[in-house]
Amino acid sequence: HLQVQTLLRERLCHQQLPQRPEGVDSQHKHLMELLKRTAVHGESNSVLIIGPRGTGKTQLLRCVLAELLAEEDVDKTLLQVHLNGLLQTDDRIALKEITRQLSLENVVGDQVFGSFAENLAFLLEALKKGDRSSSRPVLFILDEFDLFAHHKNQTLLYNLLDVSQSAQTPVAVVGLTCRLDVLELLEKRVKSRFSHRQIHLLPSLSFSQYLQAVQAQLHLPDTTFPDTTFCYDWNASLKVDKSVEAVLLRHFNSTKDFRSLHRLLMAILCRVSVNNPTIKPADLLDASRLLSADAMTNVLHGLSILELCLVIAMKHLNDIYDGEPFNLQMVYNEFKRFLQRKSNSLYNFELPVVMKAFEHLQQLEVVRPVDAAAAVAARAQREYQLVRLMLDHSQIMEALQKYPQCPTDVKQWAASAFG
Amino acid sequence: MARYLTRNRLRRIYKWGGFPVSHDRKLKTDEYDSLHISLEDLPRTTVITNGQYILIEGVDDDHPYVAKVTKLIESDKKKKALVQWFARVGEVPPNKLKLLGREPHPQEIFYYEGPTCEDEIDVESILNTVQVHQSTLSYWMEVLYVKLSWNTKVFKVVTPEQIETATAAAPRLVPTPGRLRPALPPSPPCSPALAATPRSRAPSRRCVCCHLSVSRLHVSSVPESLPCREQEFQDIYNFVESKVMDGTGGCMYISGVPGTGKTATVHEVIRSLQRASDADDVPAFNFIEINGMKMTDPHQAYVQILQKLTGQKATPDHAAALLEKRFSHAGPKKESTVLLVDELDLLWTRKQNVMYNLFDWPTRRHGRLVVLTIANTMDLPERIMINRVASRLGLTRMSFQPYSFKQLQQIIMSRLNKVKAFEEDALQLVSRKVAALSGDARRCLDICRRATEICEHTSLDPGAPGLVGMSHVMQALDEMFSSAYVTAIRCASVQEQLFLRSVLMEFRRLGLEEATFQQVLVQHQALCRVEGLQPPSVSEALAACQRLGACRLLLLEPSRLGVLQRVRLNVSQDDVLYALKAE
Repeated sequence: HLQVQTLLRERLCHQQLPQRPEGVDSQHKHLMELLKRTAVHGESNSVLIIGPRGTGKTQLLRCVLAELLAEEDVDKTLLQVHLNGLLQTDDRIALKEITRQLSLENVVGDQVFGSFAENLAFLLEALKKGDRSSSRPVLFILDEFDLFAHHKNQTLLYNLLDVSQSAQTPVAVVGLTCRLDVLELLEKRVKSRFSHRQIHLLPSLSFSQYLQAVQAQLHLPDTTFPDTTFCYDWNASLKVDKSVEAVLLRHFNSTKDFRSLHRLLMAILCRVSVNNPTIKPADLLDASRLLSADAMTNVLHGLSILELCLVIAMKHLNDIYDGEPFNLQMVYNEFKRFLQRKSNSLYNFELPVVMKAFEHLQQLEVVRPVDAAAAVAARAQREYQLVRLMLDHSQIMEALQKYPQCPTDVKQWAASAFG
Repeated sequence: MARYLTRNRLRRIYKWGGFPVSHDRKLKTDEYDSLHISLEDLPRTTVITNGQYILIEGVDDDHPYVAKVTKLIESDKKKKALVQWFARVGEVPPNKLKLLGREPHPQEIFYYEGPTCEDEIDVESILNTVQVHQSTLSYWMEVLYVKLSWNTKVFKVVTPEQIETATAAAPRLVPTPGRLRPALPPSPPCSPALAATPRSRAPSRRCVCCHLSVSRLHVSSVPESLPCREQEFQDIYNFVESKVMDGTGGCMYISGVPGTGKTATVHEVIRSLQRASDADDVPAFNFIEINGMKMTDPHQAYVQILQKLTGQKATPDHAAALLEKRFSHAGPKKESTVLLVDELDLLWTRKQNVMYNLFDWPTRRHGRLVVLTIANTMDLPERIMINRVASRLGLTRMSFQPYSFKQLQQIIMSRLNKVKAFEEDALQLVSRKVAALSGDARRCLDICRRATEICEHTSLDPGAPGLVGMSHVMQALDEMFSSAYVTAIRCASVQEQLFLRSVLMEFRRLGLEEATFQQVLVQHQALCRVEGLQPPSVSEALAACQRLGACRLLLLEPSRLGVLQRVRLNVSQDDVLYALKAE
């Protein structure tokens, strides 16, 4: 059973590349042709791969690259530079990274020498000297392409795209982004140099294809798995019955991409153990419930009664004042009105205690100050700073239903219309 | 033929020698036995007869094509010749050169018997005769020798009979049926001399080589002289030439939207001037080029100019001082300097020192600096320059207009240069579309290149792709002009689509274009109940909202505001309705 774990975890977590991702044949072919033209024929190109998060852009690129590098002469001559907009937040850093990855002459060990200006001039010279016939093609992969468009003057993008449009070293610039409006971010000069080739990756699976994909993901390979009986039993247990289908349909309705599917399947996989060697529909149900639970409701379950009462008081204030911000004093007054009605001395806390509870709520971000900067600056009179409640009423009510040993008068107070 | 004499063209005059030897009544052609070629104003005449080896004009002036004349004919008042082609070493793909088994001699040629190109050529493309010896070891400059034959796949020893029979080969004016479409050997991936051999126009034929047209249509293969920019070329040429010949300095400002050929035209001017200075018509000069976008800081301009002028490296301040000294003082035997400043607007600093200096140095008497600046906006001097800088820039301005559709058509036709690869209306469609939008030549070339690629991949017969037609062009336009919003909405999950619908409903209810997430959530949960779906939890709805915001179908405030963040649509409401309705 351990092997099951390793095999499936590899597949789900480490994003082992499938032979060819399903449903994206035309995009695969397009990208493959384009990269081949650069790597083999020395023709410069630029392309953007656009698609929502988790739809497999990076996976597609890696598949195509793996297939391309399988050819020996491409493997020997193609140079690759991988950049990420989240890591290289500035053109300066990006340039250092390019220089390091290409092992240009101003790199010693892992350190890059020279100022930003020198690095840029050096890189441009190096690229300019090359030409179609004699230099190795370079593949620039820019992940989170839209972040590069926010750099100053878009110099890096301009220069890379300019090289791809001049008779210099053959380069291919591949950008990956999830923004559909990425072209509007480019400056007009940069946009003119970009070849406007776009590959769109949009999830277009139907539900039945999705079900098949789920089964395929959990399927153990018959041929290579050592324990064949176990494998056979496992695969046999992957039948889709009504409850499983309902759960998966709910998940499919929520989001179609594969990353969240993997998260769900991981949750199921974690329940597999020696005592529990197969997957049951109940596992799927539990996992689904775990993932789709509301985050804030769980937070509310951990609050003390006093804090819960404060939250309910804030809810009533929101109802009365139609969402206007309030401060601690107002909440405390509202709370005191509840206490007066109940004439119950159990919750008769002093203001400092209430303020402590209030601060705890602020730390948990159940309430947030309206003006964060002023909140930090003004140290005095904290009880008069305006805050807002960050919860929706449905979340509060749901939390109250499942709150362990919630006093009934608190529940009634929450439900009542008059506070 | 351009009337602008500054362009390098030699005129050759072609004349038949004597009277026609025979007349073919069916094909209405006359056969001659010799051709006289003379250069304009020169007494020398070259005579070409049947059986002679000739050099034919190709793209690369140093490596003209080699062929042997088999017949000289005139048809429809056009002088033509039928030839047997020979391939140079450079025309064989390097991976096939290995089959040779030895290092090829640079003057070696191969008897070409692969799927051939047109055997009929225009006599106007013949340059000169050449001597070809069969398998002798002469190392003379003007001699080429042939030993093997090449049929695009394999080398074979050529027999003397083949060479002789080439002379007597029957003319083929009409293609024999079933013959393979004439196609060039696949262009060697690394050969710089890629070009089609000149073909005669045969309207019923479909001559296409997709590799060739793709490489020619690439933006990087800038032609020697840009079509449709003759007037601009002449003006800039006159300006720079007059300044260089007088030994004075001057400034010129060139503007135009991206992709209109500004930098390319200036480069062409400089090339012509350099040729002229090689021929001693014009004094020698230095050419330096800097680009505002290729610098990290405007002050680096000084560093780069100094480095390119003198090879010295210095800090920006020191470089500025050195350049100031250089342009202020008379130096012995100083050459003029022509400086091209691309993307001028990026050299702007608050005090505008860099621009001031760049325009001030030409005004010095001993500076001899001619500055050509390029930018995108016509009113840049008025908008961002202070008065003294703008006045030093002067009024010598030139504006490059965006290309019209006729010009774009002409550009593509000249790039393809007699390779008939596009259908007429396909070409018209592309030109019109791009001209209507931006008039950007780069865009046009990219679309044509993509259309050619599509044609190549979708053709049923990989060897003969046929012409690029309307369908290919439409597909390319679709890909490159598309905005995927509608498709993205259609491909979104059910909850995401419901969320979009609730956004629309909330906007209608409020009468505004903006709503908070909490308000939209109310609508969303109501809509779920109507559709019979389980309403999502707040976290799930937030996640769906974030996903829509990540692709910019919605515009969101920062997510730290949680349920209180405001939501706006980035797509028009009609588009959303259209996308959702088509379900």
